[in-house]
Amino acid sequence: MRNPVSGIWYLVSGIWYLVSGIWYLVSGIWYLVSGIWYLVSGIWYLVSGIWYLVSGIRYPVSGIWHLASGILFEMADQVNFEADAMQYAGQLYSAALRMTRNPADAEDVVQETYLKAFRAYGSFEEGTNLKAWLYRILTNTYINKYRKAQRRPQEVELGELQDLYLYKRLGEQSGASRSAEIEALEMFVDDDIVAAIESLPENFRLPVLYADVEGFSYKEIAEILDVPIGTVMSRLHRGRKALQRKLWNVAVDRGIVEPES
Amino acid sequence: MSACDRAIEYIYQYIDDEMTVTRRTRIEWHLKRCASCMDAFTFETQLKERISIAGRTEPSEELFDTLRALIQQERQDPDPDC
Repeated sequence: MRNPVSGIWYLVSGIWYLVSGIWYLVSGIWYLVSGIWYLVSGIWYLVSGIWYLVSGIRYPVSGIWHLASGILFEMADQVNFEADAMQYAGQLYSAALRMTRNPADAEDVVQETYLKAFRAYGSFEEGTNLKAWLYRILTNTYINKYRKAQRRPQEVELGELQDLYLYKRLGEQSGASRSAEIEALEMFVDDDIVAAIESLPENFRLPVLYADVEGFSYKEIAEILDVPIGTVMSRLHRGRKALQRKLWNVAVDRGIVEPES
Repeated sequence: MSACDRAIEYIYQYIDDEMTVTRRTRIEWHLKRCASCMDAFTFETQLKERISIAGRTEPSEELFDTLRALIQQERQDPDPDC
């Protein structure tokens, strides 16, 4: 026979287990979601941790780099101006003399150049090309001082000249004798060569001067004259040919060679 | 264009040391085999040397003193216009 009390007991138990079941199901879902959440968070903090660790290593390194570059690329100090720049005065004077063709003017240009360079020395980046920097100031000083009357830069064309102009003229002279052209170079005195350099129009004289006498690279000449490298090369090429023609004319004038027939 | 024309085209870049190693090697290869180009290259090299020596004129010692005095003066009494 059925006991009504047991019926109630089973009923209550059933409800209890049902509620418990729901509770554990919800809890399970909750713990699952929490688990996924903590997993994602964990991965996030792990990645962040690695990131900050690496950054921590990186930032001190870049800090040191900034400190080092501050020392390496320091702006020049006026205190050191004489010690740094005075060694180039002789070369700058020589170049100024070829530009102005006159010792007094050359000294003026060099003095002005050094004064300007001293005043601007704080903006000169140490470790870069000081010689080229000084030549740039020299060139600009010369151009400003001596072109004022002309207003427009003197752009003279030279006309077409044969390659190896002097070599070929001298070769025609010596006839069959080999390497005589090279020996013939000895007949020119230094004044002939100076006269030939100074005879060149300014836009050809400066590149020739900077390449042949000062030994600057094409890139440096381009920076000093503020023109493209291609322009430097073509002016240098034509300037040298014109210089050779002038030397040839000097040789003819001095009666060293027979004029062209 | 002959090998000689090509060599002469680059003569100044060769003398000024403004070329790639490959091109330099190619020109030297040609110069070893061509006496007339070799002569021309020697001539241009020696002319450049002559110009570099003759083109240099040393200033008087006074110029250095003048420059030092000028800087010294500028240091003590900078020109306010500049």
